[in-house]
Amino acid sequence: MVTVRAPDPRLEHPVDAGSPTATEQTRARYPDEDGLVERDGVRVHWERYGDRGQPIVFVPSWSIVTSRVWKAQIAYFARSHRVVTFDARGNGRSDRPTSAAAYDEAEMALDLLAVMDAARVDRAILVSLSLGAHRSLLATGAAPERVAGLVFLGPSVPLGHPVPGRDIDFDAELGTDEGWARYNRHSWRHDYPGFLEFFFGRSFTESHSTKQIEDAVGWGLETDPETLILTDEAPGIDRATALAIAADIRCPTLVIQGDEDAISGPSRGFALTEAIPGAELVVISGGGHIPNARHPVLVNLAIERFSRSIAGDIR
Amino acid sequence: MTTPAVGGPPTRLHDDAGHAVRPERSGIAIATDGIRLGFDVYGAGDPTLVMIPSAPIIHSRQWKAQVPYLSRRYRVVTYDGRGNGRSDRPTDPSAYHDDRYMGDIVTVMDATETERAVLVGLCVDGVWRAIRLAAEEPERVLGIVAFAVGVPRLAPPLPHYAEFGKTFDDELPTDEGWAKLNRHYWLRDYAGFAEFFFTEITSEPHSTKAIEDATGWALDGSVEAMLAESETSFPFDIEAVEAICRSVRCPMLLVHGTEDTCQSPARANRLAELTGAPLVLIEGADHMIPGRHPVKANLLIRDFVESLGGRVR
Repeated sequence: MVTVRAPDPRLEHPVDAGSPTATEQTRARYPDEDGLVERDGVRVHWERYGDRGQPIVFVPSWSIVTSRVWKAQIAYFARSHRVVTFDARGNGRSDRPTSAAAYDEAEMALDLLAVMDAARVDRAILVSLSLGAHRSLLATGAAPERVAGLVFLGPSVPLGHPVPGRDIDFDAELGTDEGWARYNRHSWRHDYPGFLEFFFGRSFTESHSTKQIEDAVGWGLETDPETLILTDEAPGIDRATALAIAADIRCPTLVIQGDEDAISGPSRGFALTEAIPGAELVVISGGGHIPNARHPVLVNLAIERFSRSIAGDIR
Repeated sequence: MTTPAVGGPPTRLHDDAGHAVRPERSGIAIATDGIRLGFDVYGAGDPTLVMIPSAPIIHSRQWKAQVPYLSRRYRVVTYDGRGNGRSDRPTDPSAYHDDRYMGDIVTVMDATETERAVLVGLCVDGVWRAIRLAAEEPERVLGIVAFAVGVPRLAPPLPHYAEFGKTFDDELPTDEGWAKLNRHYWLRDYAGFAEFFFTEITSEPHSTKAIEDATGWALDGSVEAMLAESETSFPFDIEAVEAICRSVRCPMLLVHGTEDTCQSPARANRLAELTGAPLVLIEGADHMIPGRHPVKANLLIRDFVESLGGRVR
């Protein structure tokens, strides 16, 4: 009799950098190299997978998730790319600084460039999700020569318009946890898991998303409400900055946007496409906010096609 | 869902749209008792795999996660069993006799010019009938892949079947849980039964899609066919079942989930003892292995077929 059970690679792959995370699931592929980048005393944990072909950096999203949000991309792209990803400060194996200034999007962008240095990546396609668009845009504005192409998934940029009902006061005592009232510092403090369930339930509007929601809530639980409050207080990019950087972008750009995105709303992705010269838009019909997790085959093939078109290898 | 009369027009099925692959050929095979069976042939490789349906509760789409992968390498034949899909839905219990189900495999193999095939089945409908055919017409069966090994009598049925099987025809004071395994409840709310049943036997987390699909296929069928089938009795005692199992000479692979809610793992263990066939136990898996664990199932089928090697070609 044979019992099929996946071996637990954690036993063979002890955590040797950063702080160990909560009970992590087994991975389809483990990094070939990992390390810590330290800037102003804040350490960020990065990983590299594969070592061939066009480098791709999977840019961290909001610190509510870890770099595992790219788990459905890493194993596929590592076969034919040098893949780099890292945990944003505030979650995963990266530090959790205790000032809002440390979570400034400008710091996140500098982390991105520092990780590229550490992983010996001169020039890469930057793939970002949601809030990660801020980091990608700022890094591109600061160092356009290091960006071979840009892919934005459900970009949470201050263009277009927000989804209805999200204009909730983050700081007021609302006395309710109904709907977007959960996006509130007091609500996070008294029921953080409830907020995560709400937020990721809205992130995955597609049916049959229980696994994706469960994963994402688990990543959210690797950090804590006080850290997340600091990330919300930290400055992002404003509309004028976003438009100015976008207008100067000269590299190939792909925006992948779910038309049922209930977090950022599809109009932000559409507006970013219009703001970037020559940007291509792929709309996922019925897709929600995190298409790389919920529609991995579709997203992976779209990114791979984009990568090949940059290399002049269009099949 | 209306039930077309025997010989009526083809039914529009739950998920006619969006197939990953289309058949090379589709047709209707006529069984020896005149029942029409809808079949499809995919791919052109060697050998031929016949995917036996779990009828009449669901139909050939239960193999949707196998057909695209396997048909790249092999020729794959699927068909709707009597009582569901594009096949006739007789309401005479004798149409659902064990012999008829076994005979339908031969009918479809003949109609598709399939001299010999690897048989792939799930539960009693697939596994037991494949074993019978291998025992009675060994020259037509190259091998068997048996998922959720359903061979009656080899071990006692699971307690919920034993308990509510006895009261199937009774008016029960409740329709909670397995009390839904009941003629009167089926007639009141067959959809409720289908959803309950597939939720119970697909108990792994994150199975909403597998449950929704299977419930839809059940609703493509007919409660009248299910009731007629429920009136047939299994025609073999334990000695006969064991003798038939022992007489199988073709290679077999048994695959069973440790958490199977429909067929006790004890049946798989016993069949492995009787036949010497290897048994793969899938940790944490329930009954619907090909639909819920398709990659694992597909690789097991592929490895089994490849292991037949020279015997096949």
